[in-house]
Amino acid sequence: MDGIITNALTKNYGSLCAVDSLTLKAENEIYGLLGPNGSGKTTTVRMLTTLLSATSGSAEVCGYDIAKEKSQVRSCISYVPQDMAVDIRLTGRENVDLFAKLYGIRDKAERKRIVADALEVVNLTDRADSMTKTYSGGMKRRLELAQALVHQPQVLFLDEPTIGLDVASRRTIWEHITKLKKSGMTILVTTHQMEEAERYCNKVGIIRRGKLIKEGAPAFLKADLKKEIITVKSDGNLPQSLPEGVTFIETNESGFIFSADKGSNVLPELTAAFEAEKSHVIYSSVREPNLEDVYMQSCGDDRGDNIPFDDRQFRNLMTRR
Amino acid sequence: MYRVFYYAQRDLLRWIRAPLNVVSTLAMPAAWLIFVGLALPTRFTDNYLDFITPGILVLTMLSAGLSGGSSLMFDKILGYLNKFLAMPSPRESILFGKILFITSRGLIQTTIILLIAILIGATIQPIYVYPITYLILFLFGILISSFGTTIALYIGEHDTYAAVSTFISMPLFFTSSALMPYSEMPDWLNVCAHLNPISYAIDAVRSVGAGTFPVFEMAFLLSASFVMVLISVVIFRKITVR
Ligand SMILES: Nc1ncnc2c1ncn2[C@@H]1O[C@H](COP(=O)(O)OP(=O)(O)O)[C@@H](O)[C@H]1O
Ligand SMILES: [Mg+2]
Repeated sequence: MDGIITNALTKNYGSLCAVDSLTLKAENEIYGLLGPNGSGKTTTVRMLTTLLSATSGSAEVCGYDIAKEKSQVRSCISYVPQDMAVDIRLTGRENVDLFAKLYGIRDKAERKRIVADALEVVNLTDRADSMTKTYSGGMKRRLELAQALVHQPQVLFLDEPTIGLDVASRRTIWEHITKLKKSGMTILVTTHQMEEAERYCNKVGIIRRGKLIKEGAPAFLKADLKKEIITVKSDGNLPQSLPEGVTFIETNESGFIFSADKGSNVLPELTAAFEAEKSHVIYSSVREPNLEDVYMQSCGDDRGDNIPFDDRQFRNLMTRR
Repeated sequence: MYRVFYYAQRDLLRWIRAPLNVVSTLAMPAAWLIFVGLALPTRFTDNYLDFITPGILVLTMLSAGLSGGSSLMFDKILGYLNKFLAMPSPRESILFGKILFITSRGLIQTTIILLIAILIGATIQPIYVYPITYLILFLFGILISSFGTTIALYIGEHDTYAAVSTFISMPLFFTSSALMPYSEMPDWLNVCAHLNPISYAIDAVRSVGAGTFPVFEMAFLLSASFVMVLISVVIFRKITVR
């Protein structure tokens, strides 16, 4: 087994259960661990990379036990943490060369070639000899990817690799990840970006408050939802009572979001429900579900505990008017 | 263990490429040398500069060691440490590399201070004095940099550590034998100076200059730095394995 297997992996910080009985499996694929902030993604990755010991449960990476065979695990993985860390006073090439040295590639000629190759893979050859200080965020992330590649890991851990990057840089990062997967690597990526996970991951695990609540190929998860998504924009509030078979999901900038088995069939009833409470439907639409809907249905309003602005309270205020 | 050198090399490169850092850490000891060493009127010697130079060399190493202590803490805060820890190399080489870097940097700085001292009138010693002086400063550097690194790792916060290191270095320096001989000290200071580990390094450098090999002081520095490195390994393991 070249990939990752976890078995009821658990991590407690005091009384807080950050990762709760996580059981997952990833092999020769891009596995996207998807969840809101504070759901336990980083904690999971740190346990699997032997930076953190698990409270209970077990896991194997490349067939090695993360608790008993730490150094074997480390010799077959690479890890790019969430917080970007490249030495800004070294050039791109020096940054990668440092990692090659630390990974134990001592032959000078061989190292030079490997470093050049890694830089080439992430398209940084042109800028390799500039100080990293002058790099953009996307370039720094690619440089970190190059650092991770010098020792040809079997399993690659990327913790929120696209966080804080612009659209084009995100695309580039994902294209590189896809290329690496084709070469046979197992890649565990964490993200809170649904569209990215849907587009690029072979398998997605949705994690909420440390629990894995859904797992499968994005298409499979969507099919599983089987429902259609109704968006209603209205000048009034959410009706007190909804028609049979209609579930309220959330309120967002496009209006109230509902799900129903057959969206178009229940739309008239739903409109009537709004009008019964003296509000008008300005706009409504029905569409196929995407991964975001799967995510919203599983995670609900849980948008993470790191966001200081509590929009649930805000919503109550708005509706009480 | 060759990775120790790679880690140290990385830090030295980063340090040398920030010229302001290089100059700023030298300002204090140089000022001491020039303003106190040259200007202070003294009764017990006609060349106070010669008397104070060993003390300033040790002070240079002391401040280099304590300021370098925050280096590993910064690596931790900024996320470099996590990347290094996930590598297959032995984790302690990160710590040893740091101690080696801080000590080597301190030796470079003391060399510059020594050159300035000679330039402004310190007596040039017989050649055998210098290697032994460097050995003493090296041992003292290991002691102080592993001490600083451990305290900083333990505290984990940049500004708290800065306060603590100032709080430690000032009294240590003033209650040592750096500025005056034991015979000139008031009784209370004499007691402090004899207990102060900094005095051991300073006295050792002075006795080399006076033509004796400081066996006792060297033995003290050797064992103290050994113990300190052991303690830092223990703390480092605790911090890195949770
Ligand atoms: N060192 C720690 N001590 C205590 N609690 C922590 C620590 N690290 C993370 N947590 C908590 O564990 C939960 C999961 O965090 P994390 O794994 O960082 O989530 P994510 O990466 O999905 O945003 C959060 O509630 C967080 O506050
Ligand atoms: Mg995280």
